[in-house]
Amino acid sequence: MSPSVRRIVAPLVGIVTFGLLWQAAVRVFDIRRFVLLAPSEILSELAEAPGFYWSNALITGRHMLVGLSIAMAFALVVGALMASSRFIEEATQPVLILILVTPWVAYITSVVLWLDGGDPTILFMVAFTSFPVFTFGVVGGMKSADPAARELLASVDARPWEVFWRLRLPASLPSIFTTLRFALGLGLAAAYFSEGSALTRDGLGAIGRTAAASNQAETLWATITTAALLGITGLLAISLLERSLLRWHVSQRP
Amino acid sequence: MSPRIEVRNVAKSFGTLDALAPLDLAVAEGETVTLLGPSGCGKTTLLRMIAGLEEPSTGEIVVNGMSPTEARRHKQIGFVPQSPALLPWRTVEANARLLLDINRRATPATPSVSVDDLLDEVGLGEFREAYPHELSGGMQQRVGLIRAFAIDAPILLMDEPFAALDEMTRTDMRHLLGRLRERLGTTVLFVTHSIPEATFLSDRVAVMSPRPGRITEDTTIDLAHPRVPELEDTEAFFHITTRLRASLSSGMRR
Repeated sequence: MSPSVRRIVAPLVGIVTFGLLWQAAVRVFDIRRFVLLAPSEILSELAEAPGFYWSNALITGRHMLVGLSIAMAFALVVGALMASSRFIEEATQPVLILILVTPWVAYITSVVLWLDGGDPTILFMVAFTSFPVFTFGVVGGMKSADPAARELLASVDARPWEVFWRLRLPASLPSIFTTLRFALGLGLAAAYFSEGSALTRDGLGAIGRTAAASNQAETLWATITTAALLGITGLLAISLLERSLLRWHVSQRP
Repeated sequence: MSPRIEVRNVAKSFGTLDALAPLDLAVAEGETVTLLGPSGCGKTTLLRMIAGLEEPSTGEIVVNGMSPTEARRHKQIGFVPQSPALLPWRTVEANARLLLDINRRATPATPSVSVDDLLDEVGLGEFREAYPHELSGGMQQRVGLIRAFAIDAPILLMDEPFAALDEMTRTDMRHLLGRLRERLGTTVLFVTHSIPEATFLSDRVAVMSPRPGRITEDTTIDLAHPRVPELEDTEAFFHITTRLRASLSSGMRR
């Protein structure tokens, strides 16, 4: 099998095998529908109302994308400041760690009260939870810029923004892409959970929450599966973007 | 005519460690002077102070009639570090143009030599679109050389640029540098451990003692210009290398 065919066939075999084992486990152990629904029933639910799940996936996808973009924008500014000053780095690190380790599900109710629910709450939660991860990735990447290259730029009196734009930012891209993969999962979870808590009726999380409250196992598991597909699509998009932007990097060479 | 580089009574300490004892050095316009000495004698420290990348503890440095900081600001110095320090995301041509793109206010409107000419001169004309990882070590260092020449600075500071290369490539590189220097007439301060390199390239060689470094001997190299590779097989060349070796040994004992 050629490498290009294998790259497509192997994941498909893995997913189909996983689905078959799942289906068999539900039947053999007679697992309750709400605990774990058989894949065949989830697929049948999705096939019954594809437009409904698609339109809500778009809403959750938008929440995730906008929230992660806000987090990334702040992380680039804060990360650049941290990479350029040891004092700022040491002052900011404990705050980021505090945000990172505090269970966000515990304070989401306060955020809902503060921002009155809806999109602002969801976007805030996605951005706030993924911001520390992005920032650590940005700082690590920017600090890994070749010291000899930094000195070279200093020899012609490069301005700080020139060092950022010409050296630190491109040098941090590999690290940013690695971080983006983790942040995507975090952002998706925050978007799903926040939609369910933010007094909104749209988005996979809001539907999932309503379904859970009214014992609709098919709907609940269909939103979970759609959210997972959304995550996979996001990861694929990241991989494609990475391949086109990082052709020079060792990780993208054959 | 005042020297292009003037070092007056300059010393450098790092905390309690004396890296350089007070020393004087002058490099005239168009001259190539090499600092030759054992590892850790302060050659690179002296070069970095002249480049304005390090402050002297005492003494004064004048570069082309101005302070090193001013000289950096006006792009009067082409710096060649030990490693090629190429940016892996830029092509060969973009790397060669890097210092032209930085601090553009100080970039000459019409440099006396173009990047295209320089690329052809060093045999990289066909590799314009290649990335650094596609080049050999010698080719990478050639890009590092023309990157410094491209800004048309009157002074080149070179910090053991060929140290990491194999002997054959290193020999080729010194011949190439000799040819470029003869053509462009740049003033060069060169740091090396290699006696043949110092002999071939220099008009004068300043031999340094171990730490705290001081100049123990300032030897004029009486070899005709232009320097051609065949010169290295002559008796005169052999005599000078022998003399420099003896100076280096006697400097080590002081």
